[in-house]
Amino acid sequence: MNLFEFLGNHTYRMVFLGTAAIGLASGALGAFAYLRKRSLVSDVISHAALPGALGAFLVAVLLGLDGRRLALLLLGALLVSGLAVAASGHIARASKVRVDTAMAIVLTVFFGAGMLLMRVISDGPYPGKGGIQDYLFGNATVITRADLATIVAVAALAIGVMVVFWKEFSLRTFDPAHSAFLGFGRRVDGLMSVALVLAVVIGVKAVGLVLMVALVVTPAAAARQWTRRLPTMVALSALIGAMGGGLGTYVSVNLGAVPPGPVVVLVLFTVFVVSLLLAPGRSVGHRLVQRARVRRALRETA
Amino acid sequence: MTETPACSVRGLSAAYGTTPVLRDVDLEVPRGVVLGVVGPNGAGKSTLLKAMLGLVPPLAGQVEFFGRPLSRVRARVGFMPQATTVDWDFPTTVRDVVTMGTYGFLGWLRRPGRVERERTGRALEQCGIADLARRQIGELSGGQRQRVFLARTLVSEPDLYLMDEPFAGVDARSQQAIVGVLHGLRQAGRTVVIVHHDLATVRDYCDHVALLNGTVVASGPVDAAFTPENVRRAYDVATADDPFLDVIG
Amino acid sequence: MSFLVGVVLLAVVTAVACALPGTFMVLRRSSMLVDGISHAVLPGIVLGYFLTRNPDSPWLLLGAALSGLLVVLGSEYLTRTGLIAGDAPQGLVFPALFSVGVILVSLEFSDVHLDTHTVLVGDLNLAGFRQLTVGGLDVGPAALYVMAGVAVLNGAFVWLFYPRLKLATFDPAFARSLGIPTGLLNTALMLLVAVTVTAAFNVAGAILVIALMVVPAASAFLLTKRLSRMIAVTLVIAVGGSFAGFWLAYFLDAPTSAGMAVFQGIVFAAVFVATQSRRTVPVGGAAAAR
Repeated sequence: MNLFEFLGNHTYRMVFLGTAAIGLASGALGAFAYLRKRSLVSDVISHAALPGALGAFLVAVLLGLDGRRLALLLLGALLVSGLAVAASGHIARASKVRVDTAMAIVLTVFFGAGMLLMRVISDGPYPGKGGIQDYLFGNATVITRADLATIVAVAALAIGVMVVFWKEFSLRTFDPAHSAFLGFGRRVDGLMSVALVLAVVIGVKAVGLVLMVALVVTPAAAARQWTRRLPTMVALSALIGAMGGGLGTYVSVNLGAVPPGPVVVLVLFTVFVVSLLLAPGRSVGHRLVQRARVRRALRETA
Repeated sequence: MTETPACSVRGLSAAYGTTPVLRDVDLEVPRGVVLGVVGPNGAGKSTLLKAMLGLVPPLAGQVEFFGRPLSRVRARVGFMPQATTVDWDFPTTVRDVVTMGTYGFLGWLRRPGRVERERTGRALEQCGIADLARRQIGELSGGQRQRVFLARTLVSEPDLYLMDEPFAGVDARSQQAIVGVLHGLRQAGRTVVIVHHDLATVRDYCDHVALLNGTVVASGPVDAAFTPENVRRAYDVATADDPFLDVIG
Repeated sequence: MSFLVGVVLLAVVTAVACALPGTFMVLRRSSMLVDGISHAVLPGIVLGYFLTRNPDSPWLLLGAALSGLLVVLGSEYLTRTGLIAGDAPQGLVFPALFSVGVILVSLEFSDVHLDTHTVLVGDLNLAGFRQLTVGGLDVGPAALYVMAGVAVLNGAFVWLFYPRLKLATFDPAFARSLGIPTGLLNTALMLLVAVTVTAAFNVAGAILVIALMVVPAASAFLLTKRLSRMIAVTLVIAVGGSFAGFWLAYFLDAPTSAGMAVFQGIVFAAVFVATQSRRTVPVGGAAAAR
């Protein structure tokens, strides 16, 4: 299928636009998570989204609402993922447990809670419980027009928070101590977490909770090799994310039986590897040339 | 009689990534002296110790201890890293940490026994921390932490000690204790190399000095090498009567 | 052996096998690496299954462990380049390997009994179902013996190398200055983690195995001041927690491994709250890390 047929098809177009929007938002916010050296927090967010979404589904069904409304599930995911980020931060701050261990604990325990909820749902007589399993591995093949609208709206919200607080975000990223002194310490961290949570939870259903971490880390790590400036890096990271999302779904549709999530990840990983090896000014290739030059200079002075 | 030096460094260069830190360092450490490695921040003082021990891969150069490569005489060389490099929440006690100094020379299946316990006890006494032996290391002050590290280096009873900033962040009492140990080592004929940042105390603690700024600016006995001109060259200070030179006496 | 006894034993033995290397992963600040390794074993398992057609084959175990080790070596390489910041390296490598695994499953082995759901969460009861019979005598689930072998292997490793492992974990630079091969010890530990994760895959799956490796060790870390005690307390919490979590899940008719994970989380929360009151002054290490 060529690209025009692909985009001409309504279902595929929805999927394409949805994953591109997801990649755009997670790429942009991922750049900040990357520079603050807290990329893996996205893994905590995506795993905690499971009990959040499932909890929201249960509450909605018990209230007699339609449990499949994406906006509703996202709201649940948003709350619980936010709670998870706060919990891992609190554990690391208030005890001698390190942040990596705190994240691992929160990730696995929240996920375990999600699996318990999933059992409750699959054993119970709840309408519309089909497709709940998609959260684990992702299934982008069923993005409706309403879903797309929700995804785009939340992605826009995440990017909007980033734009409005650009000054605070960039100061906090470059000079955490100075920004804390100016009084934007934990509050800016909180806002950054909220924006990242927004960007991550919209992707969980399409890409799968295991693989969302790649959409946050990989575009940022690739973009970092090409530029030293923050605005350029954020823009490039968002662009790589959107491109990876769109191209990945296209390839996955052409392959047939393969879910789009893993293909998107591999497309992004390829971009990253190329950037790491070949980017001018800052890459493995560049390093090799430089190191040889230093050695030569040493020999000449000796 | 010419004795082989405790340590000789020839043409040593090292880099972090592509940033060169050490260029063509030559240094000879005679036996039985306390040698201070002195220089401005970023002069490569710590890197020099690490490169000598192979902890930072050298780009070029040779290092010999007692006339032989390190791998042949490892038991005769002791290293005291900077205290900031470890996790002070690690679940271990003062006695435990000091005993760890013997681990490298235990057989793979052996556990610390009577000999190691005695040596540990002696090292704790020497550093004046015997009363802290059962404390978790996170409960110690900065000076006490340094003394634990010092005791851990003493416990294997090497002939040459390489110490990275043993006086960093140390209170007066700990400073005295550490100086006492250094003098004791010198009296016992051991050799000590310390990375040091306080110019004012160089004359009190050291017999020899190496002024470092990427490469060795001057080295030798303190009276000969620790001159205002050399210090100025090492620290890139332009004026001759800079008050900061007064401290070196 | 009755089915229930076999499954309980399997849960307990798995908890012990995971807790031993888990202690060192927590102390090395490599807890999230368990997450990376546990996902990266997937392509190894799929390929191993394709080649051996036997889910209990030791070759499958080793192949999967090697693919888990790719995360460790790959992220160590990326860190060494100095071009990738913070905790990103493992986040780059493991999703790529996991993706390869998922694509392999969906492209080539859709007939294979490799339920994607089980990959993430495991199924203790399913794992306990395949009973091993010796001379016509039913001796319990086959997975129990695999897991027990791994537990013995881990125990032997920790016991044999305990002094050096402890020093290499506490102060790697000093350990290297004594001539201790810290790199080799590290790789051996990571390989064992990968073997353990693979063996525990059927029981706990890729995500809940983290609960068995990291959470008991983290609780013990808060409670103890010496490494030997920390290991002992970790084992007690692991065994007690998996036993209690198992019965809790059994009576609530909940998925067992998820029940065990949540139970370990509750234990950690209790320990965390209980130790809070004793820590009025923040300890230097935690404050300095920020």
